[in-house]
Amino acid sequence: MASGIKDKVVIAGMGCSTFGERWDMSSDMLMVEAFQEALADSGLEKKQIEAAWLGSALDDVNVGNSALPLATALRLPSIPVTRVENMCATGTEALRGAVYAVASGACDVALALGVEKLKDTGFGGLPIRTKGSVNDLWMPYGSAPGTFAQLAGAYSARYGIAADELKKAMAHVSWKSHQNGALSEKAHLRKPVSMETILNAPMIADPLGLFDCCGVSDGAACAIVTTPEIARSIGKNHLVSVKALQVCASNGWESQYGEWDGSYVRNTRIAARRAYDEAGISDPRADLGLTEVHDCFSITELVTMEDLGLSDDGRAVFDVLDGKFDRDGAIPCQVDGGLKCFGHPVGASGLRMAYEVYQQLLGRAGERQLSDVNFGLTHNLGGQPSNSVAAVSVLGRIE
Amino acid sequence: MPDTQILAVAAYLPLLRFDRKAARSALGWSGLGGSGRGTRAVAGWDEDSLTMAVEAARGTLGSGDGADIARVTFASTSSPFIDRSQSGVLIEALQLNPAVEALDVSGTRRCAVAALSRALANGVAGAELVVAGEDRHAQPGSSASMNWGAGAGAVLVGKGQGIAKVLTRACVNFDLLDFYTSAKGGDPYAAEDRFVRDEAVAHVYGPAFRAALKQAGLTGADIAIAVVPEPVSGTYGQVARGLKMTAPNVCEEIAASAGELGSAMPLFGLSLALERANAGDRVLVAGFGNGCEVLILEATGKPAAATATEALDRGAVFNNYLRFLSLTDSLSLDWGPRAEVNQKTSASTLARHGRDTHGFVGGRDARGNVQFPKTPIPVSPLAEGPEQYEDVVLRDVPAKVTSVTADRLNFTPDPPFYFGLVQFENGARVAMEYCDCEGATPKVGDPVAMRFRVKAIDRQRNFRTYFWKAAPIERPVLAKETK
Repeated sequence: MASGIKDKVVIAGMGCSTFGERWDMSSDMLMVEAFQEALADSGLEKKQIEAAWLGSALDDVNVGNSALPLATALRLPSIPVTRVENMCATGTEALRGAVYAVASGACDVALALGVEKLKDTGFGGLPIRTKGSVNDLWMPYGSAPGTFAQLAGAYSARYGIAADELKKAMAHVSWKSHQNGALSEKAHLRKPVSMETILNAPMIADPLGLFDCCGVSDGAACAIVTTPEIARSIGKNHLVSVKALQVCASNGWESQYGEWDGSYVRNTRIAARRAYDEAGISDPRADLGLTEVHDCFSITELVTMEDLGLSDDGRAVFDVLDGKFDRDGAIPCQVDGGLKCFGHPVGASGLRMAYEVYQQLLGRAGERQLSDVNFGLTHNLGGQPSNSVAAVSVLGRIE
Repeated sequence: MPDTQILAVAAYLPLLRFDRKAARSALGWSGLGGSGRGTRAVAGWDEDSLTMAVEAARGTLGSGDGADIARVTFASTSSPFIDRSQSGVLIEALQLNPAVEALDVSGTRRCAVAALSRALANGVAGAELVVAGEDRHAQPGSSASMNWGAGAGAVLVGKGQGIAKVLTRACVNFDLLDFYTSAKGGDPYAAEDRFVRDEAVAHVYGPAFRAALKQAGLTGADIAIAVVPEPVSGTYGQVARGLKMTAPNVCEEIAASAGELGSAMPLFGLSLALERANAGDRVLVAGFGNGCEVLILEATGKPAAATATEALDRGAVFNNYLRFLSLTDSLSLDWGPRAEVNQKTSASTLARHGRDTHGFVGGRDARGNVQFPKTPIPVSPLAEGPEQYEDVVLRDVPAKVTSVTADRLNFTPDPPFYFGLVQFENGARVAMEYCDCEGATPKVGDPVAMRFRVKAIDRQRNFRTYFWKAAPIERPVLAKETK
């Protein structure tokens, strides 16, 4: 029986670049910005890093494929470097590689860095890509908002929630994130927005309006991980450990088999259950002090609250409207603004989430600091609800 | 005449009807824009002469699988390809036997009636499907731009009890240039209307009709319904007067609400005529174009479904002239960088998967679950490893909407882009595009029907791929005055 990775690996240091439209920065500069912060935070030297994982989802936009962009940008000391790509779960996938390397004993210190330079595409939204020569013969070319918007209709149909009620709750999700983003110095969007503005925004994909959608950003985030023993040996007393790290990928059941009703994301449910088991969390509603979830679209965050077990099925609409996930609510969500406002440089997002949880656990979150945080959860969702990769991690303190 | 009869007929029009008043209004400053009367059928961005022909041909199969069909002829003067067998793609779309004889005919609007005439004369062992589709381009401002329309018709001929039998055939060749379209020019160039009408009566329709009536031992008064495409309005009236024909010409009605359908006009009109005819009625069918082909038929039964009547009665009218120009490839809009996706089709991929995608062929696994596409290991949770499938054609299987959205970000030539998951009654679930929504997003649980459509157009390489899309099961009924 596998023992899991709980408390086998700690985060020695983290860094995160400012996210946004970084017109003056290329991906190598963003990587260096995040890495220098992480290295300084870790108390380690670059030469101590024995392996590295680069997360970049869209290699054709500035970054490039293979390990070389990271190895070259950071002038890493001829170590094994692996590039990983798992759509929007890429950042967490990079962290998983580094954490597993240390947990296995293969190395003592490992680096995970996620980066994306999306604003070099020359237009808003994600790049348009083919789905492969076979799939292109039949599969629809939907946009990201289009694929996630379908959650809303299916959710309404399943629970009998009126479209305008759901739209109001979705608007609250975005309103809350804009409030939080205003407190994040490194966030892409730092302007609060009124509910009226959100509700009346132009439609992107029914029923998602402009403010129901996160934008795309340039940015990088980085973690240096090691063993608790090494961390303590260099004088670190307050340690944040990885309690759980789970990834779950669709096998086609949702999109090809006739059982899924489209109102939830099964992979998130499976990954969360495994993560709670691995972390030893029996009551996530009581134990989690904050969550950073994949709010690519407002409906995604709303449904994710149910998929993570933080709302009963069919009740997230009401929990959201009651403020349960606001910064002063019972389980704050996206206290840094989330994908919606902190930004979404795809390959970096999972590590950006971990960065915020790490800061909160160490009491370094400044104006955003929450009280009484013992565990924080991150959640990435790559692909689309009908064909996804879900990643859930739990971070916490270790004595 | 051999004992080859018309076994089935069917017709198809695209959903959209353009209100000609809108063109008259938009072009009023120029004096162009035509009469402004009636509507014309407009192909959706994802329809062409082949997709519409497939839809018409489906109507002739009824609940059958076309196993008797031994020969297929596809007729069109607006085929999307000069050298790619469209009849071959149609055979794949209908999942007919790959060994059937296939022929593509073109060169003149009368090619469909010529093909039908030969099919009735010669016959084959088994049945022959003659199907015509048309979606012709004409320059904005031209009469053709407003008078022409998009549509398709299909006729299944063979031995046995049919719905009409042929009494006689006639043909006249006369190089009357009512208009011509050159390979290089692409758009029609028209002659003076009065000249065309007089010459068509004097040298084409007049002699051909007289010859056919004489051969059949009939007079003009014996004809109950005429299916006579008019190169110019009033042509039929003039020729009919000379022959004492009093039969209504269904092509005038079709032209008013759907437009002149080119090679598909006589086959569409034949469907409409046989839907209205009583047993024993004589129907004169003509195909016009640098001469003409004429058939005189006798109705012996009714089509299984009134597809032509239904096509004329239902649709969606729009009056945005710029949208009309865009849909008819007459206006090149800058759709921005999101439209720049490279859609090159892999020939080897198409060779491996084209028959399944064109024919919408899924597979039934060992447990009975149906899926599309077939994969080495079935999606069924109980599948342990690779399996062989039993082919299942999904095009006529009842289906419902599982999820849907109207996507305004994704590029499509006619926004928004509707897509989602479709659940088939036999268990198959497929991510699909929806078509023919015309502003009304389908709801979860709504029934949908499958339509053969253009999947993607590679404008860099002038190629297109085809797949099936899900359409609302019923079209809106047109108001009487717009028909």
